[in-house]
Amino acid sequence: MSLPAAQPPAALTIRADMWDARRASGWLESAALAQNVPLDQVVRLDHCLDEALANVIRHGGPTALSSPVHLQFGVRRGPGACTAELLVSDAGLAFDPSTFIAVAPHPASLVDAMPGGLGLLLIRNFSDELSYRHSQGRNHLTITVSWVEEA
Amino acid sequence: MAIRFEDVNEGLRRIVLSGRLDTVGSEQIAPKFAELTESANGGVVVYLSEVRFLSSMAISVLVTGAKAVQAKGGRMVLHVAENEVIIRTLEATGINELIPTFQDSLDAEKALLK
Repeated sequence: MSLPAAQPPAALTIRADMWDARRASGWLESAALAQNVPLDQVVRLDHCLDEALANVIRHGGPTALSSPVHLQFGVRRGPGACTAELLVSDAGLAFDPSTFIAVAPHPASLVDAMPGGLGLLLIRNFSDELSYRHSQGRNHLTITVSWVEEA
Repeated sequence: MAIRFEDVNEGLRRIVLSGRLDTVGSEQIAPKFAELTESANGGVVVYLSEVRFLSSMAISVLVTGAKAVQAKGGRMVLHVAENEVIIRTLEATGINELIPTFQDSLDAEKALLK
């Protein structure tokens, strides 16, 4: 059973470029702090947002770059348990990050290390839950973090 | 975000990064960081204690820099102090196993003397 939403979700539409991604980060921080989300949880969501938008811009293809990205943020609070959800919706190539599994071990040496490919790893590490659906030509990725609030 | 450096001696360069190294910030410091690592003679300590956000792009910049230093026979290490977000990011990606990471700045610089 999902927890009740504390306030209506906040929403923002941005261009698919990294400068607007930074603007989105500021929006996320303001929206989250306004709903008393702990700073360490905001930091986790912020990392996920930066990496998710970087993936859209780098790998989403021409349609992703020419279409707006819609963001939505909401908080749910129950007795002790709280969740914050960030929805990232883009029109790029269909891709489900929630199924990404890092099967390759970490490189054994610096010589073997390849720069890049770490964004999804960070999204998985900084989130508690990822869910994905593709509808009407858009990717809808929901990133969730959870925490326990003292009464 | 900002990048500055100091050559302690002929064999030791300190590079201090600060601020938000998100994707945009990392792309901005990347050329200067590459220049500083490629031109270093010997050891490089990269100070990350003042960094409050480390993206995958920033990690790519660090790895590329460490490879450049190693290609010239030197070594690069990271100083993270007690910056939990940075430590978590490095551990999640396994980069702390490739580039030696220290919480104490003296330990970081001593490691390059060995």
